[in-house]
Amino acid sequence: MSAFDGMITGFQVALSWEGILFVLIGVIVGTLIGMMPGLGPISAIAIMIPITYGMDPAPALVMMAGVYYGAVFGGSTSSILLNAPGISGTVATAFDGYPMAQQGKAGKALAIAAIASFFGGTVSVIMLMLLAPALSSVAISFGPPAYFALMLMGLTAISSLSEGSTIKAMISAVAGVMVVTIGIDPQTGTQRFTFGNINLLDGFDFLIIALGLFALAEVCMLVLNRKNRSLSDDQKLGSLKVTRADLKEMSGPMTRQSFVGFILGVLPGAGATIASFISYIFEKRISKNPEEFGKGSIKGLAAPESSNNAATSGAFVPLLSLGIPGSGTTAVMLGAFLVLGVQPGPLLMSDRPEIFWGIIASMYLGNIFLLVLNLPLIPYLAKILSIPRPLLISLVIMFSLIGVYSISFNVFDLYMLLVFGALGFAMRVFSFPAPPFILAFILGGMMEQAFRQSMTISNGNLAIFVNSPLPLSLILIAFLSLVIPGLLKWRSRRKLAKM
Amino acid sequence: MKKTIFTSILAASALLFAGCNSEGSTSGGTSEDGTFEPSQNIEMVAPAGAGGGWDTTAREVARVFGETDIIEENMTVVNKEGGGGAIAWAYIHGKDDSPYNLFVASPPLMFVPLNGQSEHGHEDFTPLANMIADYGAFAVSADSEWEDLNDLFDQMKADPESVTVVGTSAPGSMDHMQFVRIAKAAGVDPTKIKYVSDQDGGALTSVLNGSVDVFSTGVGEVVEQVRAGNIKVLGITAEERMEGEVLSDFPTAIEQGIDESFINWRGFFGPPNMDQAAVDYYEAKFKELSESEEFAEVREKYGWNEMYLNSAEYEEFLNTEYEEIEVLLEEIGLGN
Repeated sequence: MSAFDGMITGFQVALSWEGILFVLIGVIVGTLIGMMPGLGPISAIAIMIPITYGMDPAPALVMMAGVYYGAVFGGSTSSILLNAPGISGTVATAFDGYPMAQQGKAGKALAIAAIASFFGGTVSVIMLMLLAPALSSVAISFGPPAYFALMLMGLTAISSLSEGSTIKAMISAVAGVMVVTIGIDPQTGTQRFTFGNINLLDGFDFLIIALGLFALAEVCMLVLNRKNRSLSDDQKLGSLKVTRADLKEMSGPMTRQSFVGFILGVLPGAGATIASFISYIFEKRISKNPEEFGKGSIKGLAAPESSNNAATSGAFVPLLSLGIPGSGTTAVMLGAFLVLGVQPGPLLMSDRPEIFWGIIASMYLGNIFLLVLNLPLIPYLAKILSIPRPLLISLVIMFSLIGVYSISFNVFDLYMLLVFGALGFAMRVFSFPAPPFILAFILGGMMEQAFRQSMTISNGNLAIFVNSPLPLSLILIAFLSLVIPGLLKWRSRRKLAKM
Repeated sequence: MKKTIFTSILAASALLFAGCNSEGSTSGGTSEDGTFEPSQNIEMVAPAGAGGGWDTTAREVARVFGETDIIEENMTVVNKEGGGGAIAWAYIHGKDDSPYNLFVASPPLMFVPLNGQSEHGHEDFTPLANMIADYGAFAVSADSEWEDLNDLFDQMKADPESVTVVGTSAPGSMDHMQFVRIAKAAGVDPTKIKYVSDQDGGALTSVLNGSVDVFSTGVGEVVEQVRAGNIKVLGITAEERMEGEVLSDFPTAIEQGIDESFINWRGFFGPPNMDQAAVDYYEAKFKELSESEEFAEVREKYGWNEMYLNSAEYEEFLNTEYEEIEVLLEEIGLGN
C-alpha cells in the first residue's frame, strides 16, 4: 500500500465521527493534564489505559496518541508561567518563556509556544506520513557507540547554557552527573550511593529534580524578593498579539528545529528532551544576538517548543514501524497497544493499516484541534499570574507535591523534592546555574550506560568510538562546536589588538 | 478558571486515591468452621508501572475474576513501582496476615533478592497459585551466520570475547541468567559470557544494527520481528515446542541436544502469615480461573502457556528453582 492509499485509509478512520470524537477527547485530556505542573504524558497515558479496556482499538489508540502529543503541547504552560516544567521536554521552554512572562509578556509567550508547537507537530506529521517506513532504518542505525557520541554532543551544550562563571556551570553539571549515578547500576546490578535505602534503588525521577531545582527554588526567590511582587494588571497578561515581526523572527527557528526535533525524536532513547535542548543550543549558536537568549528571546522559546512537539511525532516512527518503544512514554503506549490486542511491529502497517495510518491521520486533526482550543484559553491561563502571590506560591508548592507523589505514591519522594528545592535555592543564592545540572542529569545517565555497553562490546577498546563513521562524525561535531566559538573570539580579539 | 476547577478535581481524586491505598490490613473473613470468604475489596498489587508484564497479568486476572464472578468481591489492581519490585514486596511484607492483599510475581522475585536488591524474597511470602508459563528466546539478526544454538555456542567456546549478549534486565537477573543457564549446559564457560543490559529500549535495536550479537528475551517479544524477517530465533528455553503460528517454529534447546530449560513462571502470592483458610480459598479460586474458558482466551491472546500449581506444589517448585539459580549466580561471581 502506498503512502497515499494509506492516508486515505487513515483519514477514513480519523474523520469518522468516532475518530473525531476520540481525537478531541484525547487532546483535551492530554492538554489539561500536560498543563498541570508535575503531570506529563506518562501519567496521562497510564490513566487512560484502564479506561480504554475493551474499546475498539483504532479509536482507542487514536485517543491515546492524542493524549500523548496533547500533553506535550500543554506542557509548556507551566514552564512559561511558573518555571515549573512538568515534563523533561519542556525544561528548555522555561529558559526564555519564563523570563518573557516575568516581563509582562505571558500571553504572547503562550501564543508563541502554541504556534511553534502546532508548526512543529504538523511538519513532523507530514514527515511521519511520508517517511515512516523509510526512517525505520534510521531509528535502528544508532548502536551504543553512536549514542555515547550523541550524548557527548548534547553535553557540550553546557558551555552555552552558562551565564557568567564557566567553572560554576561545570560544578553544577558534575553534580548532576553524580546525582544520576544514584541507584542500581544497570550494567552490574550493584547499588550505588543508596545507603541501603530501598527508596533510592531506582534513583531519582526527573520530575523530583526539575520541580525542586526550578519550581521550588523559584518559589523561594519570590518569597525573598518581595519588592518585585506588584506587577500592574496589564503588565501581568500583556498583549496576546503575535505581530508580523514576531512571526518572521520565529519562522526560521521553527522550520529548522521542526526537522531537528523530528530526527532526534526518531532515535530511540533520545526523544523530546534532548531534541529541545539541542534545538535551543543550535539557535543560540547561530544567532547574531546570542546574549538575548535566556532573557526572553522569541527564538529561544520557539526553537524548543517546535522541536519537542516534532520529536513527539518522531517517536512514533520506531513505535509504529518497528514496535520499539524509544522512551518511557512510548513504552507505556506499547503496553496500551498490547492490552488492546494490537501487536506493534514491522508488520503493523500491512496487518492493521487502519491503525497505523489512522493514528498518523488523526495527528493532523489533533494538532489543529490543539491550536484552536489553546489560543482562546490563553488569556484565562495567563490570568494565573494575577492570582495574589501568596496564593500562587502555595498553589505551585501544592502541585509540585502532587506531581511528585503521583510518580509512585511514595512519601519518600516528597522529602527528596524538598531537598532538591533547598539545593536549587542555595544554587540560586550563590549563582550556580541550574540548567547544566538538569542537562547533565538527563544526558549523563544515558551517556554512562552507552559508554559502558560500548566498552563491554569492544572488550575495552576505545577505538570503537572512532572506527565507524556515525559516532566519529558526532564526536567531531561535538568537538568543533566547543572549539569554533572560542577560536572566533580569539581571532576577533587579535584583530582588535592589532588595530 | 477552567484549569483551577479541573486541577482541584484532580487534587481531590489524588487524595482519595491515596486514602484508598493506605487502608490498613484487616484479617477478618475466616468464619468459625475454618473457611474463608472475602468480605471486602481485594487489593491486587502489580510491583511495576502500568503496561508491563506484571501489570497486564494482574489486570487480566482481576478482570476475568470479576466478569466470571468466580470471586464476587471487587478486585482492584494497584501499581507499586520501584526497585524492580522491592518497594511493593516491602509493602506486602508489612501486611503480615491480611487476606486482602495479593501480588503477582515471576522469577525476578528470586533474582532481585539474590542480587542483594531486596530484603524480601519468595520465601517471605505465601505462595497461592502459579497460573502461567512463559519462556525465554535467544534471537540473532536474520543475516547472522549462526543457524542454531550449537553454532552460537561453538563460537562462544572457541572465542568467548567475540560474542556479546544483550537483554533488558540487569546482569544476574532473568534475561542474563536464562542465557547463562542454557549456555552452561551446552559446555560454554559461564564466567566468560559477555552480557550488556539495555533498559532504554535499545536492546532490539542493537541486535538489528549489529552492535551486539544475541538478544536474550521473552518469546512474546520476538514473534513480530521474526514474522517480518528481521531476526531469527536460534532456540527457546521451553521443554517442548510451543503451540501457535510462528511459535511452533522455534526449536527448543532440548531438541538441539542441550538438556536444560527455563520457565518464566507467573503466579500469585499473599503476605507472609496469611491464614491457611484464605490460602485454601484463593488456591481453589485460581484453579477455577485457570480452567475457565475466559482465561483460556486471555492466555491465547498473549501467547501464555497454562501452568497451574497449587500452593504446596508452587512452593516446592520455587525452592528447587531457587537452589539452581543460587548455585549458578555463585559460579559466575554474582552471588551474595
